[in-house]
Amino acid sequence: MIAQLRNASPRREAVFMAVAAVILIALPWIMPYIGGYRELATRILIWGIFALGFDILVGFTGYLSFGHAAFWGIGAYCSGYYLLHANANALVAILIGVAVATAVAILLGYLTLRRHGIYFAILTLAFAEMFYYAALAPLQDWTGGDNGLTGIRTPELFGVKLDGDEMHYFVAAWTLLAIYFARRIARSPFGLMLRAIKSNETRLQSTGVNVYRYKVTAFAISGLYAGLAGTLYALYETYVPTESLHWTTSGEVVIMSVIGGFGTLIGPMIGAGIVLYLENVLSASTEQWLLIQGLIFMFFVIFLPGGVMEGLQRLADWGRKRHESATEAEARGAAPKGASAPTAPLRQRSQKG
Amino acid sequence: MALLDVGGVTKRFAGLTALDNVDLKVEAGSVHSIIGPNGAGKSTLLNVLTGSIKPDRGSVVFDGHGLVPLQPYEINQLGVARVFQSPEIFPELSLLDNVMVATFAARDGSYKLNLFEHPSRAGELRQFAEEVLVDVGLEEHLTMPAKHLSRGDKRRLELAVCLAHRPRLLLLDEPTAGMSQTETHSTVELLRKISATGMTKIIIEHDMEVVFSLSSRITVLHQGRVIADGPPAQIREDEAVQEAYLGGVHL
Repeated sequence: MIAQLRNASPRREAVFMAVAAVILIALPWIMPYIGGYRELATRILIWGIFALGFDILVGFTGYLSFGHAAFWGIGAYCSGYYLLHANANALVAILIGVAVATAVAILLGYLTLRRHGIYFAILTLAFAEMFYYAALAPLQDWTGGDNGLTGIRTPELFGVKLDGDEMHYFVAAWTLLAIYFARRIARSPFGLMLRAIKSNETRLQSTGVNVYRYKVTAFAISGLYAGLAGTLYALYETYVPTESLHWTTSGEVVIMSVIGGFGTLIGPMIGAGIVLYLENVLSASTEQWLLIQGLIFMFFVIFLPGGVMEGLQRLADWGRKRHESATEAEARGAAPKGASAPTAPLRQRSQKG
Repeated sequence: MALLDVGGVTKRFAGLTALDNVDLKVEAGSVHSIIGPNGAGKSTLLNVLTGSIKPDRGSVVFDGHGLVPLQPYEINQLGVARVFQSPEIFPELSLLDNVMVATFAARDGSYKLNLFEHPSRAGELRQFAEEVLVDVGLEEHLTMPAKHLSRGDKRRLELAVCLAHRPRLLLLDEPTAGMSQTETHSTVELLRKISATGMTKIIIEHDMEVVFSLSSRITVLHQGRVIADGPPAQIREDEAVQEAYLGGVHL
């Protein structure tokens, strides 16, 4: 998957981005036909950006964070605060939210990436929870405490109110940018270093690479993506709930990534779509939809640890094999009766190779 | 002046003295073997040289740079590469990407924020990486994940990763361990080929045939101490070495 991504020619990349653009823009019109609503599409894209950036840290670099709610929430609170008290300028709101979230990500990266595995995961979780409780009580004059930030005005872009479809186009543009840059990063020497970190840190150290700095950078990039998604969420909802800093937000993005498939960039975005879509459809008919979500999550972890992307890959492999054996059988059947004996085995061999 | 100068290095682990006042001088262009029975401190010494273990006392000077306070990646960037006892490669990456990591590290230094460099810009590096792979005898399956290689080929790949950095000092920790006779033979040939380029090497090895056929100088460690140091012919005749290490058996 990633190997394919690295070898993509500029033309194929342009085609990919064009197809992605069509899908992202068409999504609100598709949603009502499959039991969703128009704004659900915007919501999916916002979470898709979050999951995409998360994949750069977890899927590529191999460090599972349980604290990315911190960057999502900080982005949301900062841009929400700006919209509430200063101005309706959407771009400035995003800039402020992303800048603060990224700065905090760099700082937390330096602190948490000194540890690996479970210790790293717990450190990130602990820091994110600190922000949650800080927002709840000590900082409630700024964060609105339990109520969150309410009454945020509708953001504007060059005088245009971002509402409904306009908001969706705005978010879709950011999503396209996010996808484009993530794919560039994945293909760059920097992306190769991240995959090398996941593969073998000892070898990378002994190959002259400052592993720690690369890890902090990957962490900061994923924090930037989470911050961007958080700011867009605040703009879209015109409301910042305290849950945006809660650990369940971190857990949600992990679930999305597992269902979509870590390390594939597009997979986690698809995972975000599946989770939010099911949440919407199932919660309408049953209150136990979290139970069903849990079952789906378990199914993927046990039977398809590579997520939807692995499933698609397997389907493609299976289809190709079927196609190959079909053409092989056809070739054998179509061979003229008088053909000399050795040709058939020869043909078979050449097809295998 | 020696390329590598180790002076009075001592390292203790919870009561065990792994290295006891070790001196070692490695001349540029030489192939210097370190031998000794298991637990003599050979691997600990390599760990001190590459910076993964800090000595309690003593100095390590490589080409005028003191290595003791440096991180492993800084030592590698100065030109010291290491082939580990059990091959350390990037199992999930392709053979080519394994070597590309090293070529990028050689070009960009220990860190570079080149997030958006297009792969087509690395054409020359890619060609160089392919050449290095051919040099170690891995010219096939360049896009296959490295984990599918045999143990011997993993070692070759690791060697290619080290060579792609054009090191001035190459440390080899038992390069023929766990290899069949044919594999050992081809590895020795490969190491000879590299020696022809004048690259300085330190080799830890148990196979005495390999040691005596490759080395220009041999240092013998025993219980963390240097008990002999000299050209192969002298080591072969050394009484203390035969007594302590070879158990009195003549080579």
